[in-house]
Amino acid sequence: MNERELVTKAQAGDFQAFATLVNASKGRIYALALKMTANEQDAEDIVQETFLKAIDNIEQFRGESSFGTWLYSIALNQARAHLAKQKQTDLKPIEDYLPTKSADDLHRPDTHRLFDWKDPHQQLEDQELKEIIDTAVAELPVTYREVFLLRYYEELSIKEIAKLIKESVASTKSRVLRARLALRDAISKALEDRYGTQVS
Amino acid sequence: MGRKCLDYVNDLNDYLDGELDPSLCDEIEKHIGHCENCRIMVDTMKQTVTLCREGKPEKLPASLEDKLSGMLKARWEKKFGK
Repeated sequence: MNERELVTKAQAGDFQAFATLVNASKGRIYALALKMTANEQDAEDIVQETFLKAIDNIEQFRGESSFGTWLYSIALNQARAHLAKQKQTDLKPIEDYLPTKSADDLHRPDTHRLFDWKDPHQQLEDQELKEIIDTAVAELPVTYREVFLLRYYEELSIKEIAKLIKESVASTKSRVLRARLALRDAISKALEDRYGTQVS
Repeated sequence: MGRKCLDYVNDLNDYLDGELDPSLCDEIEKHIGHCENCRIMVDTMKQTVTLCREGKPEKLPASLEDKLSGMLKARWEKKFGK
């Protein structure tokens, strides 16, 4: 039975059909919630709240997106509510993530060389590397974190994300790029510190 | 005058995600062949995504798994009846 058929049955009151839809998406919703909040209890709450809200509002799903994407929109709102107390950061210009803010050519002689990580697995234990990545993701501003995770964790298209966050495609595209640059920058700084410590 | 590094950086996501026009891909590849910072930027942006995907949890914690089904069933029955 395909997703559309399962949704139709669930909307008619078939719990088994709904349970099948839940089983197909609960792992992904949990992964998103855990990365968004960096807190297991919050992530569990978000998963529960997401599916309970899905039950409450299932008749409102009109099939304009996949059922999974609809669930993401609920989960995202729940995660945002959990993160509402976190400080919101203004989006930075792309230049802020480059070696120099004044030059627009990275290869100019007066530009600092970017730190080249090579392969971090060769330098660090898996657990240490995981902690670096988790910290970098957790410290991303929420506006960056959500689009990065939706794009590269949940593998949604830019169009799907734009619809979820109610932004234009161009603005979403720009936000995803900045998110990736910001995360790259944070990981780079952490690895540079760690590699430096190891050498000394 | 050709494109500058910042112009390339703006296209890097599309390039790395395989969504850039092939002629622009060729241009970027030519550029990173002689611009070390842009080469490092491409490599490390690619790794940023790869490293994040490595830690992706696949399963719900057992405690959540145990209570979720019952919780949803109860809500379902409240809404639709048994």
